[in-house]
Amino acid sequence: MARVKIHPLIWVLALVWLLLTLLPFWFMVSSSFKTALETYTRPVWALPLSPNIDNYKAVLSGGFFRYVFNSLLVVSISVTLILLLSAMAAFVFARLPYRPAKPLFGLIMAGLAVPVHVTLIPVYSLTTRLGIYDTPWALIGPYVAFSLPLTIFILTEFVRQIPRELDDAARVDGCSPARTFFSIILPLTSPGMASMGIYNTVMLWNEFVFAFTLTASPNQRTLPLAIWEFQGQYSANVPAIMTVLTMTALPMIVVYIFGQERIIKGMMAGALKG
Amino acid sequence: MNHKLLAGLGILGLVAGASVLAQQKKEIVFWHIQSSEPGLSLVKKQVDRYMAANPDVNVQVVPIQNDAYKTKIKVAMGAGQGPCVFATWGGGPLFEYVKANQIIDLTSLLNENNYKNRFLSASFSAITFNNKIYGVPVEGVSISIFYYNKQMFAKLGLQEPATIAQLVSTANTLKKNGIVPFSLANKTKWTGSMYFMYLVDRMGGARTFINAATRANGGSFQNPVFIRAGKMLQDWVKAGYFNEGFNGLDYDSGQSRGLLYAGKAAMELMGNWSTSIMRSENPAFATNVGIFPFPAMRAGGPAGNVVGTVGDNYYHIASNCKHQKESFEMIKFLIDDQAVTERGAAGRIPPVKSFKPTDPDLKNIVELVNNAPGTQLWYDQYLAPELGEAHKDTTQALMGLTMTPEQAAKIMEDTAKRLAGK
Amino acid sequence: MTRVKPKNEYALTAIVFLAPTVLLLLVFVVYPILESVRLSFTRWTGLGQSQVYVGWSNWLRLLQDMVFWKALGNNLILALLSILIQLPIALALALMLDKGGRAMRFLKLAYFIPLLVSSVAIGFLFKYIYDPNFGLLNAVLNGVGLNNLAKSWLGDPSLALYAVLAVICWQFIPFHMLIFQAALASMPAELHDAALIDGATENQFFWRITLPLLQGTIRTAVVLSLIGSLRYFDLIYVLTGGGPSGSTELMATYMYKQAFSSFNFGYGSTVAVALILVVLLISGVVLSLTKRFQTEV
Repeated sequence: MARVKIHPLIWVLALVWLLLTLLPFWFMVSSSFKTALETYTRPVWALPLSPNIDNYKAVLSGGFFRYVFNSLLVVSISVTLILLLSAMAAFVFARLPYRPAKPLFGLIMAGLAVPVHVTLIPVYSLTTRLGIYDTPWALIGPYVAFSLPLTIFILTEFVRQIPRELDDAARVDGCSPARTFFSIILPLTSPGMASMGIYNTVMLWNEFVFAFTLTASPNQRTLPLAIWEFQGQYSANVPAIMTVLTMTALPMIVVYIFGQERIIKGMMAGALKG
Repeated sequence: MNHKLLAGLGILGLVAGASVLAQQKKEIVFWHIQSSEPGLSLVKKQVDRYMAANPDVNVQVVPIQNDAYKTKIKVAMGAGQGPCVFATWGGGPLFEYVKANQIIDLTSLLNENNYKNRFLSASFSAITFNNKIYGVPVEGVSISIFYYNKQMFAKLGLQEPATIAQLVSTANTLKKNGIVPFSLANKTKWTGSMYFMYLVDRMGGARTFINAATRANGGSFQNPVFIRAGKMLQDWVKAGYFNEGFNGLDYDSGQSRGLLYAGKAAMELMGNWSTSIMRSENPAFATNVGIFPFPAMRAGGPAGNVVGTVGDNYYHIASNCKHQKESFEMIKFLIDDQAVTERGAAGRIPPVKSFKPTDPDLKNIVELVNNAPGTQLWYDQYLAPELGEAHKDTTQALMGLTMTPEQAAKIMEDTAKRLAGK
Repeated sequence: MTRVKPKNEYALTAIVFLAPTVLLLLVFVVYPILESVRLSFTRWTGLGQSQVYVGWSNWLRLLQDMVFWKALGNNLILALLSILIQLPIALALALMLDKGGRAMRFLKLAYFIPLLVSSVAIGFLFKYIYDPNFGLLNAVLNGVGLNNLAKSWLGDPSLALYAVLAVICWQFIPFHMLIFQAALASMPAELHDAALIDGATENQFFWRITLPLLQGTIRTAVVLSLIGSLRYFDLIYVLTGGGPSGSTELMATYMYKQAFSSFNFGYGSTVAVALILVVLLISGVVLSLTKRFQTEV
């Protein structure tokens, strides 16, 4: 790893940026220990008057763990599918001399362009007709489909950057394209895959619109809908909502720490390839 | 990976199997927006009682948060696969459901055994089209009134204003003392609209708006009354009666109540749901809050209407619902005697004649409604959806001083004409 | 395994590898788009079977609809500024994290946080930060004596778009940072060592080696930022709802308002199709100008 001395001014800027990024986190976590009154009468950034855990009790007494389970189920299956399908498609677009595949890249662009709200009615119809409405399974299809375009788009660029001599060598050794993909391209794309894995996990973990359109009963809901119990028509219990959001973000932070390790490992794999 | 997928398909099969079993009961799907307490249990308890009394029926109750509901119900209706029973706010948007044959006429069911008589008669006005009634009023009376800080008024020697002139002088006194007279969070748009609706009513009486909206008796949104009301509202903005930056503040996140709680603002024109919100958010402040109706134009003159609703949320039965009779019985449980008692205890005002509130604040509000000559439904609910949106947009722009009252009136009139021409 | 001719083998692999993706996109993307195109020629409240074919009238209305053009303009401002602000900052942060080694482990985590927190939390947070009476931003400005810079950020039609833009940048810089980080991580370290041995300075290395190698990634980031800005919805809806006075209206929020609030599903679909066309057109132009995205085989 290349190490370079960092200018003090850069450190200062780095710390300013750190402050800016930690702000929401601080707001979210500290609000979760406040009472509703405190959020109105004292400054947003102030420390809680007393570490009050009533919000946590209130959140945990609801269906929280059920929501966590549903979210884990949906997100893990979706992200696995997204990464595998995207890497395969990226390999085709970046490497295979198969002309009919080219126009399909337009399909990917269309997928990036489509605004989510126009898809709701057709997707809802489809889901009810398939009989999977109001189950976590209803979410997997749209989640995978709407994450594929972005992921393919980025991974295609990654695959392109892998030196071509590597797969040429494999071909000379008699590897089939599929073999080349699984044994050469896939491992070398791992930093990109890790990044996209993290990104998609986070996005789907917080996904809201499909979650409320395609599920109904409280038992089938995913985590982002857990805030509903604290949000009425005219008012919101801000501290309780922040509690839900804090508990929603925690697993993601763990995932990210883990994902960081993967990036570093991927980088080392990259270093070996020369 | 493949194992996961297979396991997934397996569970899918189980889920499908389970739902087949459940379908041997009569299934009613019921969507409402009481997603937070106390509304959540108020609904659930009555539905549970209904199911206990009718073991052959299974009601699937789906509480949905307000904003999400507005999207979800449109998606379901657009796909033609909506719930059996669902909530609306009545008025113009509901009329679209009627025109599209999405909900059933409940007139005969309501007339059975004079059931209809149980309700305040005003509660049906927002759900009656061509003399047919399309819903049941349940969730309660919500009207717009002024909330004010009693201590602050006492300290400055202020009285509850009875005329608009007094309201203006009260505002001036507050302003001189460095206090914002009216707290407003108007990103939400319907909040600022309350001022406009009242000014139109006080300046032009109830018919001005109704005539313009129904295109009857030569009514027009360019009637000088709308323009004068807009001018007065802009004068108030220019005089600094409203807090700074109100068009960027969100009512639902409590940004206007914050100003009241902090003693930076003295009054807020708001729906009476505020009472229960303040009680739960800031009990000490809630005891220090008084209410008064929007003042009359002049002393001794007509008091004018109250603006608000006497029944919403309303509950409706979808045309494609297989168990309409059972659905109606279920709705009856939501507003039977026991439900009314529970609703009253939770600070709600059920729209039924028998309800006699004991709580002094609720009593005041009920008297206000009873004494008013009539109730003007919120414009954005009364009008056809597109016109309602135009009303909210133009009023926000008016108050932001980016549009003149004449321009706003023209946009409203043009939109109304275009919709009438369809 | 029987030996297949390479050409066929490529075709077979391509078909097998792409089939699931294409199937999913046909169902969830192409079908809804075609449905929207069809609806853009109808008048429909969005309820029941009441669709009426109205020819091109929705499209004629769109051409004269000042709100739509204003929204498109806002989208373009958002896109341009997003690219100009987000990408340089994201690249600088990624470079710093890449060079910094172990000391940066904590920063790597912390900088990513805006992306981890849901838009709901970010919405609440910035409502309170921008609040002209209690907000953090004005409190800081007043505190350092810049009282006349304290504004009602979301309430002023001339500022609201930029106020929301700042939040969007803040939320998405970590995304681009992540992409750049991954691209830098896949760069062979020997390049750097070799260049330094040859006597290149850090600066020269960045401009002559790193940046050219990142070209593809930068193009990807530009296109994604562009598309993301053109169909943006989330925080605008939460923070301003398109107001005040339409100053932050975007194509997507306008579409939503027409389709779901005004019960004009037909016209809302017209706006949606126009949005899709704008995105495809602009991104098509950018892609063909940069030429890179047709596989160079």
